[in-house]
Amino acid sequence: MSTPPANHRHEQLTYEIRVQGRLDQRWAAWFDGLTVTAHGDGTTALAGPIVDQAALHGLLQRLHDIGVPLISVTQIDGPAPAPSNS
Amino acid sequence: MGRALLETKLKIPQQRRDLVHRPGLRHRLDGAWSSPLTLVSAPAGFGKTTLLTQWLAGAAAPRAAVAWLSLDARDNDPALFLAYLVTAVQHVSPGVGVTALSLLESPGTSTEAILLTVINDLAGVDHEVVVVLDDYHVIEAGEVQEGVAFLAEHVPAHVHLVISSRADPALPLARFRACGELVEIRAADLRFTAAEATAYLNDVMSLALRPQDVAALELRTEGWIAALQLAALSLRGRDDSAAFIAGFAGDDRYVVDYLAEEVLHRQPENVRDFLLRTCVLSRMSGPLCDAVTGQDGGNAMLAALDRANLFVVPLDDRRQWYRYHHLFADVLRARLLDERPAQVAELHRLASDWHALNGDRPEAVRHALASGDFNRAAAVVELAVPELRRTRQEATLRSWLEALPNELIKVRPVLSVAYAGALLVYGELDGAEERLRDAEARLEDVAQQRQSSTEAAPATVVVDRAALPALPASIALYRAAQARIHGDVAGTIAHARRAIDLAPEGDHLARGAPAGLLGLAYWTVGDLDAAHQWYTEASVNLGKAGHLADVLGCTIALADICTAKGRLGEAMRTYQRSLTLAAAQSPLRGEADMHVGLAQILRERNDVDAAWAHLTTSRELGEHAALPQNRYRWRLVMARLRQIEGDADGALDLLDEAEQLYTSDYFPDVRPIPAVRARVLLAQGRLDDAVRWARDRGLASDDELSYLHEYEHLTLARILIARVANGEDRWEETTRLLSRLLDAADRGGRTGIVTEVLALQALTEQARGEGQAAVALLRRAATLAEPEGYVRLFLDEGPRMTSLLQTLVRQGDAPEHARLLLSATARTEPRVAASQGLVDPLSAREVEVLRMLGSDLDGPEIASQLVVSLNTVRTHTKNIYAKLGVNSRRAAVRRSKDLGLL
Repeated sequence: MSTPPANHRHEQLTYEIRVQGRLDQRWAAWFDGLTVTAHGDGTTALAGPIVDQAALHGLLQRLHDIGVPLISVTQIDGPAPAPSNS
Repeated sequence: MGRALLETKLKIPQQRRDLVHRPGLRHRLDGAWSSPLTLVSAPAGFGKTTLLTQWLAGAAAPRAAVAWLSLDARDNDPALFLAYLVTAVQHVSPGVGVTALSLLESPGTSTEAILLTVINDLAGVDHEVVVVLDDYHVIEAGEVQEGVAFLAEHVPAHVHLVISSRADPALPLARFRACGELVEIRAADLRFTAAEATAYLNDVMSLALRPQDVAALELRTEGWIAALQLAALSLRGRDDSAAFIAGFAGDDRYVVDYLAEEVLHRQPENVRDFLLRTCVLSRMSGPLCDAVTGQDGGNAMLAALDRANLFVVPLDDRRQWYRYHHLFADVLRARLLDERPAQVAELHRLASDWHALNGDRPEAVRHALASGDFNRAAAVVELAVPELRRTRQEATLRSWLEALPNELIKVRPVLSVAYAGALLVYGELDGAEERLRDAEARLEDVAQQRQSSTEAAPATVVVDRAALPALPASIALYRAAQARIHGDVAGTIAHARRAIDLAPEGDHLARGAPAGLLGLAYWTVGDLDAAHQWYTEASVNLGKAGHLADVLGCTIALADICTAKGRLGEAMRTYQRSLTLAAAQSPLRGEADMHVGLAQILRERNDVDAAWAHLTTSRELGEHAALPQNRYRWRLVMARLRQIEGDADGALDLLDEAEQLYTSDYFPDVRPIPAVRARVLLAQGRLDDAVRWARDRGLASDDELSYLHEYEHLTLARILIARVANGEDRWEETTRLLSRLLDAADRGGRTGIVTEVLALQALTEQARGEGQAAVALLRRAATLAEPEGYVRLFLDEGPRMTSLLQTLVRQGDAPEHARLLLSATARTEPRVAASQGLVDPLSAREVEVLRMLGSDLDGPEIASQLVVSLNTVRTHTKNIYAKLGVNSRRAAVRRSKDLGLL
């Protein structure tokens, strides 16, 4: 139905999606407002809260649509995007 | 009744003249001509569509045999997908899919059943056919995916499915691969090689680049064609190509970001603005672009973009419709969202307006939803309801309604009722009543000409005022349907009657549908006269409304009711009339069921050959011409024909299958399969098994009797008679039950049952040695049975009945029908050859199996010919071997030839 369950905010998890290539900052809005952080190793991390699994798959789909190679998808504990490990 | 299909989706995309030739890939694609499935799977911008059009334009593939379908998200509605698929195939083979298109108009036909008719049609086509499904990755709906998998697994050898997709489709690819039945072209194959990159950059784009620059670009883009295109566009007209390439190669930005920036940067402001405003459109024409940009010159701009090869793809020969390359569209949309977030909703709103005015309601809804303007979306959905229901796109209707906020639906009575209908189509009760109540409250407001029933609530909205008059009848009808699902007979009757009273003058469907529910309700409580009257009313009105498939559903009910009332002739005529009616639109869903109905009556009249013929016809018509219940009904009748042949095991086998296939159509189950089985067991002498059935069912001779359980109590009576014949002291119990059954049937006007009970009473008297009383009762039964030609009612009772008939006929003044019955027993005694020269002779069925063992058929084929399970064939085979004293098929055939059995 049109309204998501009332407690969806509690189920919301933070993810970091790592892709190959330095992605421009201007994609942030396209990817649901995730923070887009380019790293020195030629990869980009998209991180932030994602409502549910369907939204996560939608995001991965959109990355696939623009031909960006996917490196990893990680669920991060806690509300804030974790610092990069590279 | 046509549906609005976009012709552009069925066109093979135009190919540009200036292309890189890829003979290697085209050669690999030629493998598609000898393979059922070809998959071109790679991300966006790898030239999948281009490669396919190049290949199809080549000599090996005559264009005439190519059915092309460019998919989009709307094709997730199975009804729409099938309509497009069939229309695409009809472009190359006009005769294919006529049945499928007519089935799409009738309710409840499964995707698989419709595809089966397409596959059968394709089998008759005398040339090669390639079916291309382009952009298959948009398909997410399980039903469509399963349909395509079914298609891929069942296409005839001269039909080839070619799928292009950004992601591997949900098909059993591993199995196709393992069987060598999959031609696969993937990203690694599609990347431009160094030679192809050179050809593209220097020959096609005339850039005159140095080999090391081409190599650098090829390396940096990894042969990704979309990126090379962007690079070429960035390089066009530059005199510093080497420096540009060096800068690009030395940068680690996502290639598309880097290059798109360059390309867009070099466009004049008006082109940039045009691109950003029109990128929200999934297809573009000049006038549509003008509406969205608020300027003139859309046509000229599109033509200019086309000439400059700036990511537009023409969708038709006249170059009226275009779309952007998917990848580039995504880049533009992301940029629009980033640079002008406030403008996005407005652009969608303008696009929605234009589509609504120009008749593309689905696209108008899509844009309205994207703009967040739910009021607008709701208005367009409301107008689209009649068309969507007519073309059975309930899946689409439902997805739209689910996308709309509940508050908007609540104030729109037309949408509320449509929502309830869309839920009930799927048998879902949750929420339906609430929708109906919302609609009612709002209709009240409309009638009182007030804004809203409560001061604070938002005003009632009606966009499609023409839909208003029919709403009260629809509400009552849906209430009746709900009550029926709940098993509430009184509620069904009350609501359905109300629906008929409220039906607008001349609206046949609005009368026919509730009349059918009334017929069903009265049938359920055993009021056969009322049931017959309402089903007749339903049948007439549904016929006038053009819903022939539903008329056939009524026919089954009417004929069953006639049969219960002992009017076999009328039942037969009812089926025949409907068959004549169906002939105009043959094969019509339900047509196969008519033949099963006829077979059942013909069986009762002991016309076994004619019954067989009708069952065969029913089967040949195929499942698409049958209601879901035909699968078990067919087996039920076939089992009882097998029983006549003396093949009780075969009959029991079919009854087991029938029970597994049983699905309710809400008709009262007046002939339950387990009870039929109990009768077969009893006829086999397996009294204990029959008694166990009665015990498990909790049946007792002093039960309260009802029409719904009449068949079971009549079965119980037969069990009791067998026990009386065995010397058990149950005569009084049996007599009491039978006289109560006689009384009930008599009062209900069920003459067929009255005849049956009299025959059973005769058997009861005979079982306790009262020969004279028995003969008197049988005389009455035979007299009653004569006008309608009942035969099996007597003969199915076996040797005891035969001897009773002999006694009756010997008395001289027996009714003519009794003589006829007696001569019929002689004719249809199980035909087992007495002179087989075997200690344990083969049964008729075993002889039949033996004949097939002498042919080339394998086990599964024999099973399918005899319409039994493989296990049954094995059992028969084992018995045959045992009786012939052999242990192999070859030995069995030899031995039976020696014995003269073959």
